[in-house]
Amino acid sequence: MTSANTGTEVGSFVSRFNLQQYVVYLGFLAIFLFFAFMLSDSGFLTVRNLSNIVLQTAPVTIMAIGLVFVMSAGEIDLSIGSIVAVSALAAAVTIASYGMAAGIVAGLGAGILIGLINGALVAYVRLPSFLVTLATMGLFAGVSRSMTDLRSISVTNGAFTGFFGSGSLLGVPSLIWWTVIAIAAGHLVYRETRFGAHVLATGDNARAASVSGISVPKIRLAVLTISGGLAGLAGLLYAGRLQAAKYTLGETDLMTVIAAVIVGGTLLNGGKGSIVGALVGSLMMGMLNNGLILMGLSVSDQMIVRGLIILTAVAVSLRDKSR
Amino acid sequence: MRKAFGIMTVLASLFAAYAFAAEGVTTGPNGEKPVPAASLTLSAAQEQQIKDGKFTAALVWHEMSEYTNAVNAGARDEFKRLGIEVVAQTDAGFDAARQKADVETVMAKKPSIILSLPVDPATAASVYDPARQAGVKLGFVDNCPTGYKQGTDYVTIVSDDLFQMGNKAGIAMAEALGKKGKVGYIFHDADFYVTNQRDGAFKKTIEQDYPDMKIAAEAGMADPARSEDIAQAMITQHPDLDGIYVTWAEPALSVLSALRAAGNTHTKIVTLDLNEPAALDMVKGGNIAALVADEAYSIGVTLARASAGSLVGLKAEPFYAVDSIAVTKETVKDGWKKSLNKDVPATIADAMK
Repeated sequence: MTSANTGTEVGSFVSRFNLQQYVVYLGFLAIFLFFAFMLSDSGFLTVRNLSNIVLQTAPVTIMAIGLVFVMSAGEIDLSIGSIVAVSALAAAVTIASYGMAAGIVAGLGAGILIGLINGALVAYVRLPSFLVTLATMGLFAGVSRSMTDLRSISVTNGAFTGFFGSGSLLGVPSLIWWTVIAIAAGHLVYRETRFGAHVLATGDNARAASVSGISVPKIRLAVLTISGGLAGLAGLLYAGRLQAAKYTLGETDLMTVIAAVIVGGTLLNGGKGSIVGALVGSLMMGMLNNGLILMGLSVSDQMIVRGLIILTAVAVSLRDKSR
Repeated sequence: MRKAFGIMTVLASLFAAYAFAAEGVTTGPNGEKPVPAASLTLSAAQEQQIKDGKFTAALVWHEMSEYTNAVNAGARDEFKRLGIEVVAQTDAGFDAARQKADVETVMAKKPSIILSLPVDPATAASVYDPARQAGVKLGFVDNCPTGYKQGTDYVTIVSDDLFQMGNKAGIAMAEALGKKGKVGYIFHDADFYVTNQRDGAFKKTIEQDYPDMKIAAEAGMADPARSEDIAQAMITQHPDLDGIYVTWAEPALSVLSALRAAGNTHTKIVTLDLNEPAALDMVKGGNIAALVADEAYSIGVTLARASAGSLVGLKAEPFYAVDSIAVTKETVKDGWKKSLNKDVPATIADAMK
């Protein structure tokens, strides 16, 4: 009797336990354990290597936070990679002549401005965000190439590179601080404010949101501006870490960011998402890159295995039972 | 006596030809004098010492292409011969930030050697500093981080003999056109020392060594994607060109398609690097007359050898250059083997039958 009761309880616990919601955490854990076991003598578990993963993924994590807001509102931002390059270059060029503060303003300002342009076109000219940001992705990739005529610009301001890339505070690297602060702030705004609720409502059903008094255009403008600003911050982090800026920065990040956000449990068509999930998704991408290199696989094999793992993760987290 | 005189005349004329040929040498990114890659050897004792050392190496490439594959294969083969285990290989996709992450990642395996091609030399110091500070022997292809000192910060640079490549392209063009005619010159319009030296050497060779040949049209190409437009404009303005030099194989394919579209079969193309579609056109008797290729496989072998040697006290020269070969229809099989250490692709082998 007792055992039967326990059995039912376990059963109901399993049915209540929504596997899909936790797949990113379970996947992360599975991949971590796999690498920890396989690479036990290859330095994977060293503090240095694990902290490297967090440092390397910091810009992607920051961009992913912005994209969670955008996708939760039912939009997409494809221009983040180009914003990274424009912001990093704007900051690098400005720092050289006017110092650190002006450089930060220029870098973040460029990101926010591009985000505002995206947002205004989507919210008020009523163009689809996919097409708007596809166009601005190309447009600002061109701008970043012409800004310095393809040259890379060194960033020699020690305060800037320390603050955004290579420094540390209380023994913790600055990139980890940035990640923690951005995730905490993002999570708070997303989960605990009216704005966060309005973003989700807009993504869930824009018409219903509008009827219930939410200004849908304002939400769309806001999420794309946030995404632009955070991509700008990612640009500053890259410039600080590399002590240089070049038009190629961020070029290859878009797909990684989208994968991190989706694996992290944010729906592509809006209404549901998770900031912490995006962090775990981003770390998972970084851990995959790191572990597959340490396994000594050839570059082609690394790409194949990474693709298969992401496919599996997406299949488990996004499978739509109603289809 | 007459025979001896004859030989002397031949020698004298050879000498004269050599002396008057376009002069120029490839220099390294910091003006280093090139040393032939073939001159680098290890003694049996050094090789044994390396084998006993149980060293490891990581290959941190800038991107993966047929060229990088050949360099990579050369390095791996030489490391294998010397008993050095390759513990990691990465591809930065031309992204300096990713290359920095790659260096940090492979450092977890504590390699004794890292071979790499810096994506962006101007800013590469921050990329390689973690490895340099840990005492890893760094060997570079083509260029090195600005500010690094050879011998202390890195072992050596191995590259193509760039002047020789451009020079051989000029000679191949002259051979294809019977040493006379009008030539179009499509050069890489960017501040990139590899292509700049090769292009310059081609031009110099034609202008100095072949008085009956003339560079009748010049066009700079900054973006390979636009090379077809450039070729189109060039052959519209100069339909009588006998040959066109193109800075490397990929844009040469666009020039080829422009010529085909214009129904032009007489203008010959000479370009640099081996490329399957270009070689296929060549063996089928199309517009492509010659492809000048570097011995990419040897770059990998030389770099691996120099870096391994440095672990047992060998002092490498600052800059090694490998030879290049002009590959024509007749020599395509050997050329492929020599440059890429691979058999010629089946499509080309079939077309030659």
